[in-house]
Amino acid sequence: DDKWLEAHYDPVSSLYTFTQCITMSDINADGDHKLIIADLGTGSYDMKLKVYKGTSLMTENAIIDLPTGVVTFYMDTNEPHTPAIAVASGPFIYVYKNLRPYFKFTLPTLSVNPVEQDLWDQVKEDRIDVMSLREMLDGLRCEGATLTVRSMRFLQLQSHDLEPFASLHKHAPLKRQTVITCLATMKKSMAEEDAISCLILGTESSHIYVLDPEAFTVLATMDLPSVPVFMSVSGLFDVEFRIVVACRNGGIYNFKRGVKEGKTVFELNSQPVGLERLGKNIIVGCMDRTLQCYTSKGKKLWSVAVPADITTIQMMDHQQKGFKAILVALANSEVHIYRDKYLCNVMKTPDVITGMKFGRFGREEASLIMTTKGGGLVIRILKRTAKFEEKDISAGPPSSQNQKLNVPKKTKLFVDQTMRERENAVSMHRQFQHDLYRLRLETARNYVKALDRSMNPISTNPQEPLKLAAQVQGLGPIFKLTVNLQNTSMTVPSLDLIITFQYDNTLYKFNKSIIQTPMLVPGLNYSFEALVECLSDKGISDTVKVFVLKKNRSVPIIAAIINMPISEAMVVV
Amino acid sequence: APELAIFERRNWLIHLHFVRKEYDTCKVIVKEQLAETNGMCEYAVYVQALILRQEGRIQESLELFQTCTLLNPQSVDNLKQVARSLFLLARHKAAIDVYNEAAKMTEGDWEISHNKGVCYMYLKNPEQAKVCLKEAISFNRNELSYIMLGKVYLAEKDIHMAIDVYKRAVEFSPENGEVLTTLGLLYMQTGQFQKAFEHLGNALTYDPCNVKAILAAGSMMQHHGDFDVALTKYRVAAAETPESPPLWNNIGMCFFGKKKYVAAISCLKRANYLAPFDWKILYNLGLVHLSMQQYASAFHFLSAAINLRPKIPALFMLLAVALTHLDDPDNAREAYEQAAAMDGDKDPMVHLNYAVFLYNQGDRRGAQKQFNSFETATKAQGNVEIDPEMLELSSKLGPALQVGESMVWQQKAKAEVKPPPLPQVGLRTH
Repeated sequence: DDKWLEAHYDPVSSLYTFTQCITMSDINADGDHKLIIADLGTGSYDMKLKVYKGTSLMTENAIIDLPTGVVTFYMDTNEPHTPAIAVASGPFIYVYKNLRPYFKFTLPTLSVNPVEQDLWDQVKEDRIDVMSLREMLDGLRCEGATLTVRSMRFLQLQSHDLEPFASLHKHAPLKRQTVITCLATMKKSMAEEDAISCLILGTESSHIYVLDPEAFTVLATMDLPSVPVFMSVSGLFDVEFRIVVACRNGGIYNFKRGVKEGKTVFELNSQPVGLERLGKNIIVGCMDRTLQCYTSKGKKLWSVAVPADITTIQMMDHQQKGFKAILVALANSEVHIYRDKYLCNVMKTPDVITGMKFGRFGREEASLIMTTKGGGLVIRILKRTAKFEEKDISAGPPSSQNQKLNVPKKTKLFVDQTMRERENAVSMHRQFQHDLYRLRLETARNYVKALDRSMNPISTNPQEPLKLAAQVQGLGPIFKLTVNLQNTSMTVPSLDLIITFQYDNTLYKFNKSIIQTPMLVPGLNYSFEALVECLSDKGISDTVKVFVLKKNRSVPIIAAIINMPISEAMVVV
Repeated sequence: APELAIFERRNWLIHLHFVRKEYDTCKVIVKEQLAETNGMCEYAVYVQALILRQEGRIQESLELFQTCTLLNPQSVDNLKQVARSLFLLARHKAAIDVYNEAAKMTEGDWEISHNKGVCYMYLKNPEQAKVCLKEAISFNRNELSYIMLGKVYLAEKDIHMAIDVYKRAVEFSPENGEVLTTLGLLYMQTGQFQKAFEHLGNALTYDPCNVKAILAAGSMMQHHGDFDVALTKYRVAAAETPESPPLWNNIGMCFFGKKKYVAAISCLKRANYLAPFDWKILYNLGLVHLSMQQYASAFHFLSAAINLRPKIPALFMLLAVALTHLDDPDNAREAYEQAAAMDGDKDPMVHLNYAVFLYNQGDRRGAQKQFNSFETATKAQGNVEIDPEMLELSSKLGPALQVGESMVWQQKAKAEVKPPPLPQVGLRTH
């Protein structure tokens, strides 16, 4: 690779994390940017906040629940001017200063249904028994009311568990909580790199909250029609800002300062896998393997198809070079770099990348931190000499245009035959037509013959619609002959049928000469077996004819001719 | 009292794994979440249903979505997914009912109107389909709705309205290869070749591997005799769809145009192997073999084509030509009669060739009659360009018939004119 330096690769860092749980920041104010990763551990325990200095793990802090996102932000102007780390997890934001727990913010609770509140108040004062409580709550639920977890849990209980559950919980205040789904920051009133920032939270209850960085009060609340998944924030809270949110319903919404309800920018056909903003344009990677770009007004500018499923996207903003691009990690273990809609670099990675962050790491301005599906950590540094092409590297005609067509080759024989045909076309044609007539005639004759002798395996008699198939198994001298008989009519059963055989009795011996069939139910397949012994050891064979007869009729309904295989010689022990 | 875990606490995690298509991880988390909440976590059920649908287990997914609507009857999304599953199970009427139900809860929902339109389309109710799709477009100008609306018009054979719709779709999303190609093909059908070529060219700029566009553009190039350019384009298509019969048919006819007959036959035979019941390929094979003077082979390909498509006059004419050379004038005459009767005086070539045949057979009156038919047919065609070969032949035959006897020509020194080859646009590739 002429553009990226492989700085570090540890395939077994056992990191389980997402793009939104990775960040880089100068948390010690010493000019050395640390890598901060919120690790989801096993997915149910061992969740940790990890801080790397260089490539070595500096500190680890346990997190109680799954972390949803990590950001760093300046919450005050105190010296030394160090940013705080905020980790979103469940309904809480844990704020760390100087890598020590500093503050825990809890999301405001949601309004509780007044009837439900009243019911639980009654429980507290023991004015209602649990059975009628359950009935009332169930009624509420059926009306479509959103209940608290306590009521929902209560409704799931067996009747003998109701009482202890109620008495355990009744004194705690009834609350309806939600969880954080995404986290971002926004500068408050100054645009400097180290200016004080607000926290922006998206929640499962389809709200967006803006938090004051000093007092941790809610500065603004905004409503969405669906649950936010990805957020992109720009501007200053006190001046003018814009929050673009991708939601679980596939819609992209836009908030400006002073707006309470999000404006739909556009709706996607496929779920977004990542959202970034480049200038005024919104770029989304979608589940249908496309990278799409829209204006902030919702006009689609372009859409490019990528060769594999997108796992995450990340903005690459190289300020020194004034280079902005979108990194797209794909499920085929590649990272594609798109500048506008032009692919300008393809990076191969040892594993599928699931988390990415581009930015300053250590003292290196342009570093790319990547985590892999298998839990590895990859750190690459953009070479200072690296230059990205202005144009699309995939432009121009596809490479397949230069491949020769695979035209089937013809031999000299083919050419010779062509020459022969040219010279003898008329006689060839006549001969062919002549033979064709002969063939048709022969076919017709044999057909008539077969009809005459009932030598056909499918009955032509509409009164007795039957199908016959026979097969021989075994090596000899004893063979098993299986006769399959099927009544092909829709409704009429076949009665009084007999199966018999005609054979050379010097050569073969049958264990039964007649098989009487039961009534044949339409559609079912019946199989009958007979054992045939070959009497000759001279290695000769003959045909055996199978007839299906109707009682009191001499002409068989159907017949089959079986070519018997040559018998293996009898082994005398 | 202990803190009770929120039912939705891991929804975000389920969602992030879902959009990355990490379905196995997703299923594990969903299972854990459902165990934790006794199956009451709506989003977990919802995602599980989505995954099942992805895996093709549509009936099961439908049942889970129905569970979701029980858990949360207020959710439009749940209803929409129920309807979507019904749609995938081809229960279009039921799907429309559910969509109507969902439409009561929300307003201006593109998805509902669009999918309703598609359902009506499959229910063969084009009027309703149009209403719904237009409504969908008014909610959200999505190219899918345009494409579907175009299809509805095409099903009604209203090409002009369809072109109009696709034009608007191109305005909205100018780089969509699929829409550009379809529009190009429609222009081709209406004979607006300049516009067709423009759109197909655009389609190829944005998506150089679009096989449909390559075939259509290639067939137009072939029409203009640009065989080398067409072949270069076909190379891309051959890499994309190496087993496409129309593609090999067109490649074969390019070689034919370049007078590389052996290669032409090889490619056509491959096309025929891939699509043995395609009469156009058989027609071309017949034509190429006639040019190669392999009349016996030509006869077989042409009669195979006639067996598949017994109503094409040109096939009978070519068969007659083959029979003439196979020294079977009686059957040749029969074939010419068939061709002339079917054609109804539209194709001058049939009559001209018939006239030549009759003239060579010594039937001057019959020949004169066919020659007259030829002239009326030529006039009826108006200012359409006439094949120079045909003009030349007629200018020789005309005087010969007037003068009588074989003064102008020597016997046996005549040839028939052959119709142009049939390149395929390849609408049936997918």
